[in-house]
Amino acid sequence: MKFARVGVALAAAAIVVTACGGSGGGAGKALKIGISLPLSGSALASAGPADKGARLAIKEFTLAGYTVAPDVKDHAVNGVHDPQQGAKDMTAFAADPTVVAVVGPFNSSVAKVQIPISNEAGLLQCSPANTNPDLTKGDAGKQLRAKQPDKINYVRVATTDDIQGPAVAQYGYQTLGLKKVAIIDDTETYGKGIADAFAAEWTKLGGTVVGREGAPKGTTDYTAILTKFKDSAPEAVFYGGVTSTGGGLVRKQMPQAGLGDLVYLGGDGIQDGPGTTDGSFINIAGEAAANSFSSVAAIAEYPGKADFDKKYQAEYGEAPGAYSASGYACAQIVLKAITTAAGKGDITRESVRAAATDTATTFDTVLGPVKFDAVGDTNQKIISLYKVDLTAAGGKGDWIFDSQVNYGN
Amino acid sequence: MTAVPATNDAGRARSGAGLRPLLRLLVPVAIVVAAWLYMGPEQFVNAMTRGAIYALIALGYTMVYGIIELINFAHGDMFMVGSFVSLSFLTRLGFSGAITNVGLLAVVIVATFVFSMVVMGLIGVLIERFAYKPLRRAPRLAPLITAIGVSFILQNVVQLFYGPFQTNSPKIFPDTWFLQFAGARIPILSLFIICVAFGMMVALQLFIGRTRLGRSMRATAADRDAAALMGVNINRTIAITFLIGSALAGAAGVVNGLQYGVSRFDDGFQAGLKAFTAAVLGGIGNTVGAALGGFIIGFIEVAAVVAGYGRWGPAIVFGTLVIVLVFRPAGLLGQQLGERA
Repeated sequence: MKFARVGVALAAAAIVVTACGGSGGGAGKALKIGISLPLSGSALASAGPADKGARLAIKEFTLAGYTVAPDVKDHAVNGVHDPQQGAKDMTAFAADPTVVAVVGPFNSSVAKVQIPISNEAGLLQCSPANTNPDLTKGDAGKQLRAKQPDKINYVRVATTDDIQGPAVAQYGYQTLGLKKVAIIDDTETYGKGIADAFAAEWTKLGGTVVGREGAPKGTTDYTAILTKFKDSAPEAVFYGGVTSTGGGLVRKQMPQAGLGDLVYLGGDGIQDGPGTTDGSFINIAGEAAANSFSSVAAIAEYPGKADFDKKYQAEYGEAPGAYSASGYACAQIVLKAITTAAGKGDITRESVRAAATDTATTFDTVLGPVKFDAVGDTNQKIISLYKVDLTAAGGKGDWIFDSQVNYGN
Repeated sequence: MTAVPATNDAGRARSGAGLRPLLRLLVPVAIVVAAWLYMGPEQFVNAMTRGAIYALIALGYTMVYGIIELINFAHGDMFMVGSFVSLSFLTRLGFSGAITNVGLLAVVIVATFVFSMVVMGLIGVLIERFAYKPLRRAPRLAPLITAIGVSFILQNVVQLFYGPFQTNSPKIFPDTWFLQFAGARIPILSLFIICVAFGMMVALQLFIGRTRLGRSMRATAADRDAAALMGVNINRTIAITFLIGSALAGAAGVVNGLQYGVSRFDDGFQAGLKAFTAAVLGGIGNTVGAALGGFIIGFIEVAAVVAGYGRWGPAIVFGTLVIVLVFRPAGLLGQQLGERA
């Protein structure tokens, strides 16, 4: 049944190609780029801009003899990224022969289940935002691509938490001059990982970790943990996790526990838009969000920013989000690989994958030149740091870019 | 405290010369004192506050079980709906931040409690009327599955109106009010919550023990058919049980909003699970047991954090439950609302 349908689709495509062959113009062989992101509920605030960025790049793209269109699949369930749904979507992409590459996912937990599927299908995947090191590096990375270990099919433009966590530690210790920190994580892949990386760097710098606690998603009461922290008099609290697993609640409960004046540090998990966005960190923490700092594993002051901002504004009538340019860059990389593949002959999943993961190629993206290493990680190791300004966004508060640090060589 | 052990006591008391009642009083007091000394006053109050919320929810579970032997899985979600009712009420009235005027604060809080409890009580009665009553003579599994269905409906309706986000509940009680006590910093809000919870529990005990309606409830719980033959209006009694249980969930919702300031459509799951555990721990069907179970769980969780095993909190709670059930299958205080004198 399925093969029959594919056959019909191919035949139809062939007819279209023959019919329009030589006439040029828009019509041609139809290719699709899958976009796999969580795009509803509270996930939309952070992942939506990446989707818009990717679609903008695809819209601008032209290649004679081909039409390239986005195929967007939302894997948010009840407003939160859902690994199971992400796996289903990736299976659907893998089964659709017109899909030659996928942009996404957004969350490391989703990537963990998607990579084995896309690896088996030999389907190129570019994530704008995944930061967990184990997705690519070491034995953990090898396990995810067990089906075709020598064919790297997953690349990402965000740098990893083993750089992001320490970057926040360095900012807190050196720039803010803090010495004693207490740490809470949400016990998940991303949250515990970034908290561990932060703690290791903090100690290495000479700071003290005076408390370390974990509280899973669904915890509503952090008073006992905060009261315990208070006895060891920290100057800051670091939260490893995202807003929906407790990042906002912890900050909100700190004043009541008498810790309202402390600095609050976090990774990109709490950097999810202004106070006007429902369910965002600043929205939940409210007044207590003052004096909070976070990082984003993406370059904030990228070379093409002015142009990109203008284009994005014209297309969507709003300013780009933290991951808009990353989504755009991922699509650029995929599209460049398609162009390269077309130049060498046929556009197939394999030729696109090979072109994108060639370690000798430098991609000229909106984020600047990007090159991938042997496991698909970017050479652009830049972390941007943000600070909450409660007067921004019409008094509702927003994250304001503070500085960026390049950890590349 | 329950009828069965009480008879045993009466038998033994003749020879044992009243030593056991004294011990019964001393053991809990000793545990409370030990907890206070171990945790210090601040964590003690944290544990009491947390326990108070669990206890208020657990009461509804235990009352419904006591009277119609239904594990009302939707009860945790009633608590969640209660917190949304209270936050909507406050937001509609235009409150967003702390109210520092004591008089106004008192009026607003009382109004919120009354509104939320009345609305939730009515919702509880409606759910009983349309979802559980038609199944009263059906096999036990039918209402159980229905309860799970009601739970989903409540979650989805809330999600429809408020979205799947965490929604802010106005923190009208000032964060800056606290008592300085022996070097400890005790939030007045926590003390207020503990007092409210105790007040409601005492009122509930008096209602069940001293009023005509309470006697009907006990009679229905003990033997529904016999109670009906004696002229107790069974339908009305069951409806009132749901009314009170759901109103208490509404009160817990208000308290949750005041304390944590955030609600989400799936809050009821965790809270419901903890409260159900509390009810079983104390002896399901037994109102004093449910309240006791709620506080015990609050104390276990906070003690786990104090001891440095915060990550193991849920495991310790359920481990305790298993151990208690191995030695006392009917829970700490035994079952049955009805047989309590």
